[in-house]
Amino acid sequence: MPRFYHDDPAWSDVEPIAQDDGGPNPLAAIAYTDEYSEAMGYLRAVMANNEYSERVLSLTEHIITMNPAHYTVWLYRARALEQTDTSLADEIAWLNPTALMHLKNYQIWHHRQTIIDRLGSPDGEADFIATMLGQDSKNYHVWSYRQWLVKRFGIFDDKELAWTESMIEEDVRNNSAWNHRWFLVVGGRGGQGVSEDIVKREIEYAQTAIRKAPQNESPWNYLRGIIRHAKLPTSTVKSFILAFADLEKPDEVYSSHALDLLADIYIEENKKDKAMKVLDLLANKYDPIRAHYWNYRKGLLEETGAVG
Amino acid sequence: MASSQAPSSRSGEITSPGNRVEQISDSDFEEELNGTAMLDNAEYLSRITPPLRDMLETGTSQVQDETLEAILPFLEGNPNDFDLNSQGIPKLQRKKHVAFLERALGYYPPQFAAMDAARPWLLYWTLQGLTALGEDVSQYQERVADNFSAAQHPMGGYGGGHGQLPHLAATYAAVLSLVIVGGTEAYDSINRKSMWQYLGQMKQLDGGFTMSPGGEEDIRGAFCAVVILSLLNLPLDLPPDSPARAHGLSSFMDNLGDWVSRCQTFEGGISAAPGNEAHGAYAFCGLGCLSVMGPPQETLNKYLDMPLLIHWLSSRQCSPEGGYNGRTNKLVDGCYSHWVGSCWALVEAAAGKKGLWNRNALGRYILSAAQFKKGGLLDKPGKRPDAYHTCYNLAGLSAVQRIYIFDEGRQRGVGNGDLVAPFHWKEDGLYDGDKVWDNDDVVDRVHPVFVVPWGKAEDCRLYFERKECL
Ligand SMILES: [Zn+2]
Repeated sequence: MPRFYHDDPAWSDVEPIAQDDGGPNPLAAIAYTDEYSEAMGYLRAVMANNEYSERVLSLTEHIITMNPAHYTVWLYRARALEQTDTSLADEIAWLNPTALMHLKNYQIWHHRQTIIDRLGSPDGEADFIATMLGQDSKNYHVWSYRQWLVKRFGIFDDKELAWTESMIEEDVRNNSAWNHRWFLVVGGRGGQGVSEDIVKREIEYAQTAIRKAPQNESPWNYLRGIIRHAKLPTSTVKSFILAFADLEKPDEVYSSHALDLLADIYIEENKKDKAMKVLDLLANKYDPIRAHYWNYRKGLLEETGAVG
Repeated sequence: MASSQAPSSRSGEITSPGNRVEQISDSDFEEELNGTAMLDNAEYLSRITPPLRDMLETGTSQVQDETLEAILPFLEGNPNDFDLNSQGIPKLQRKKHVAFLERALGYYPPQFAAMDAARPWLLYWTLQGLTALGEDVSQYQERVADNFSAAQHPMGGYGGGHGQLPHLAATYAAVLSLVIVGGTEAYDSINRKSMWQYLGQMKQLDGGFTMSPGGEEDIRGAFCAVVILSLLNLPLDLPPDSPARAHGLSSFMDNLGDWVSRCQTFEGGISAAPGNEAHGAYAFCGLGCLSVMGPPQETLNKYLDMPLLIHWLSSRQCSPEGGYNGRTNKLVDGCYSHWVGSCWALVEAAAGKKGLWNRNALGRYILSAAQFKKGGLLDKPGKRPDAYHTCYNLAGLSAVQRIYIFDEGRQRGVGNGDLVAPFHWKEDGLYDGDKVWDNDDVVDRVHPVFVVPWGKAEDCRLYFERKECL
């Protein structure tokens, strides 16, 4: 049932502001329904008056059901919630089904963040996020929101880590889950050092994942990241890498990413000829689409003049 | 091409007027060309497909397999029955794309209400796409100026439309659209003083920018803000009422490079905000922001780990698809032709080296797989075309086909004042390595940082350099 305001006594004091698409012959103009057009006219009017009230909340709710991608309506609703005495818990309850219907919507997540921030408690959020990721396991807004939540409420705990592990377990190629692990272990902790034990644990964790699917880029990036962060030489994992790629057995390579790190090891060890051979294998055989890149790396090596 | 016939004579025959697909499709000539192309494509695909493949099945590998299955026919053959160029690859379907974009500027039925807040984008993508295809858009000057006068907010900046709150994304799209059509009326329609004040409200203590008052802070904000500051020649001093001033900041540039730096992730790419996952679109925003702040060889090298960034960018190219994905283990998508593809000009300027990336494979993806049969470009075969994917596939194609270099000399005398680095770019001719396109398939020049037609950014900046005050 469409809803209108012009004959609603509760709105009789408001003079709607008509839509102006810009000039007599607007570009990319939308033929709005009468219902949408009228509701937006009333929104422009209450915004011009800085009105924050119960009826403004119901008006914004009405518009959101018609167009949830309208950032203005969300931002104005957030202000109205602040100015009126509305239950923030009710707001979250209303938000849940709306968010599930519109997974890729920026505004809903920012709105949720604003409300949860004011509520001051992350209770129930982890479950809700899990439901959302069940629909779309790599949704950028959802993962970003999770990172905000962890930081805002200091949830760098074992439970969060275990949940992240379960996400990686479900799909070892889910890079968003790997990124979240990094956030929990290293990135979100504001430059705090990572202990030797944890570095060891993380290296082993990445290695176990690599063994399941050696051509999976995510754990390799994670492994490289941990090694670099701990300022360890790449040769720390040399024997592990050699199991996947060994210059002695150029026809039995199991991972191009292993070759990539092997080149780094030879560069570290100042074995330029070997590094060149590894980069050649990547360019010519195991990763030909990136031949330009591998050749660029070779060029850099030639410039350094390291001995073979 | 394995064939003995000279490519030039073939393309001449195909392009001659009246030689329509239906007429030539049953000729021996067409079959010969298609047959040779199929063989060439099959040979290419077998050469470029990575030999290593894991057996473990997960959600990621399932959608990747399905996607490749949908794309391969387009890389192997010509399911759209497009005219082919001398390389046996679909020609750029210029006329169809122009018609598609012109339709995108027309009226939309009520179910498009969701686009209400995104009309500035629709205008920008469409106008930019048209110019990349060689169309003159000056006929739209007045209508674009009218459109954005209605969307300009009294407090400064632009909203998605009349009565909407100002938003940096809408403001960026509005300014770029006005820059693309150009002309005094369009320039003068921008209230630069209130724009400057609005940007002052967006500046955050940590150096970044929020997208709207009370809105999210992410790297789009940083990029959009510096693009606007530079194009409109606005003062870098924060306005007196900027909240960031109360925290001791005095310039829009304060802490900005460091904030962008914090968005580089352990993978090497750049994320929306510190801690988030590296993502192709945010990578372009980050590199673009730094390339407005100063010459890329200074700013990129100063604020980013370049070897790691280059490694990550390079890894975004999907094989054998040739197009880019936006994140590790995600699917190829035509819009990253620009978001990732256009990073390379900036990166090569910083590295002082050329030839870091596989232009030809990306060109192949765009021409073979990202053109929609009836016009417009798309994410991948099976999706619908839209103005967004049309604009950014074409911008990516420009990055593929043309060499853009950072030049010490200024362009056309532009560059009195701040944030002048982006006015140093020059086009150094067409890419002359292996390529799957003919000259007929080459799109127009696109500014590597501003993503507007060549010369338009300079016109706008010159206009405002000559203005005495805000
Ligand atoms: Zn896309």
